[in-house]
Amino acid sequence: MPGGRGSDPPRGAMPAKIWAIFRKDLLIELRTKDSLNAMLFFGIVVLVIFSFALESVRDSIRMAVPGILWVAFAFSGTLGLNRMFAAEKENSCLQGLLMLPLDRGILYLGKMLAATVFMLFSEVIIFVFSLVFFNLTVWREIPYLALVFVIGTLGFTAVGTLLSAISVNTRLREVLLPLILFPVILPILVMAVESTNIILNTVDYRALKLPLTVMSVFTIIFTTLSYLLFDYVLED
Amino acid sequence: METRRSTWFDTLLVVILVPGMILALYMAFLGAPRERTMGDLQRIFYFHAPSGIVGLIAFAVNFFASVAFLIKKDRKWDGLAVAAAEMGVVFLTILLVTGPLWAKPIWLVWWTWSPRLTSSLILWLLYIAYLLIRNYVPDPERRAMMSAVFGVVAFVDAPIVWFSIRWWRDIHPSPMLETGGLSPSMRPAFYICALVFNILMIYLIRRRYFLEMARHDIERLERRIA
Amino acid sequence: MNTMNYLFAAYTAIWIILALYLYSISAREKRLREDVDRLKQQLEK
Repeated sequence: MPGGRGSDPPRGAMPAKIWAIFRKDLLIELRTKDSLNAMLFFGIVVLVIFSFALESVRDSIRMAVPGILWVAFAFSGTLGLNRMFAAEKENSCLQGLLMLPLDRGILYLGKMLAATVFMLFSEVIIFVFSLVFFNLTVWREIPYLALVFVIGTLGFTAVGTLLSAISVNTRLREVLLPLILFPVILPILVMAVESTNIILNTVDYRALKLPLTVMSVFTIIFTTLSYLLFDYVLED
Repeated sequence: METRRSTWFDTLLVVILVPGMILALYMAFLGAPRERTMGDLQRIFYFHAPSGIVGLIAFAVNFFASVAFLIKKDRKWDGLAVAAAEMGVVFLTILLVTGPLWAKPIWLVWWTWSPRLTSSLILWLLYIAYLLIRNYVPDPERRAMMSAVFGVVAFVDAPIVWFSIRWWRDIHPSPMLETGGLSPSMRPAFYICALVFNILMIYLIRRRYFLEMARHDIERLERRIA
Repeated sequence: MNTMNYLFAAYTAIWIILALYLYSISAREKRLREDVDRLKQQLEK
């Protein structure tokens, strides 16, 4: 492999390299908007499906909104993660990237950042749609919701980026990702739904401390783990 | 390099296991006392709980084998990892089947989202995912790498899953209670069953491991011929 | 007694699951032996 792991890294500190990868993914996406469109559409479709499915409990639908939201986020996020690696594999871009004397962990961080940004963007729009569909008013709650969305999404992409890289290299390709991701991501899902519930349906914001802490710990643990393990997944 | 196998140890295990299983059955049905509230149904416990213990031990073995493979890159560890994972799935399946059969007559429902059952279910799903990954990666080297990475992720995730579900249940309590302790008169039966099940696990892991090593040897031979 | 049915079902399930797994291992071992025989034949040619 040209360059090799031991040679001098290119100019720029680690944050700059991460930024470069992140920027590349961002620009590619902004040009075509394929992923974002799909993620948004899917998320909104999930909202609509749940509205119909839960029509019989329409009066207390507000209790179900946290769960519905995070299901929509999870499905939409999985779509985004899939596309992130699927496109690269199709065009063999990954091989080009791997030729760079780049620490594989940095590749992971750049991709994770891009995935997080895409997901957060979709989440905001999906959330706005949910406000309309489920007749919610939120003003005071927005900063807390923003915090939960950000930490939850970070946890999701921390593991999701690694697992997406795995699934894309199997015969089932993208189909495998939901199967392997959802059991792993369960703590995030549980904590995020409960946090959103606390914000939307109760007034006890102090109860947020534990779920937010767990989500943050989850994110830190799995970002570190994925950073260390990413190399093993990409070996070519 | 061909893998060596000490068949005398396998024979020893079988010699221990056959009377061992009979002894375990005896202890569970005749040796242990009849439980006060649940009656004879409680005897499921003597095979249900050890299955859970064996499942957890198997997954721990998978974790250490996965880490060892990532560090040493020796396929031996991959063989141990897959053997342990299959064991874990088998014994957790037993747990998840005997659990509802125990619950239905007593609490009148097949399933409660109780912390232990739910965590067991997620753990079961995690290791089925591990086996799925293995099933869909054709290249043996890559297969070993990918599944080792996932094995590590799954095991690190397990305590967090357990904690999250317990907390979630605390917030939304359900009327079902999980059975608690063991009276002293039941302990001999329980320990014997647990011991026998662990020996069974060792025996099955060995068979699966050597199966994997043999397959590895064949692949190498096939490559030399081609 | 009704609970005896469940007790019986539980232990049957345990045996069936273990037997299935043992069968699966034996079947894979058999396939392995067939592959070895095939390779032996190829080597002899």
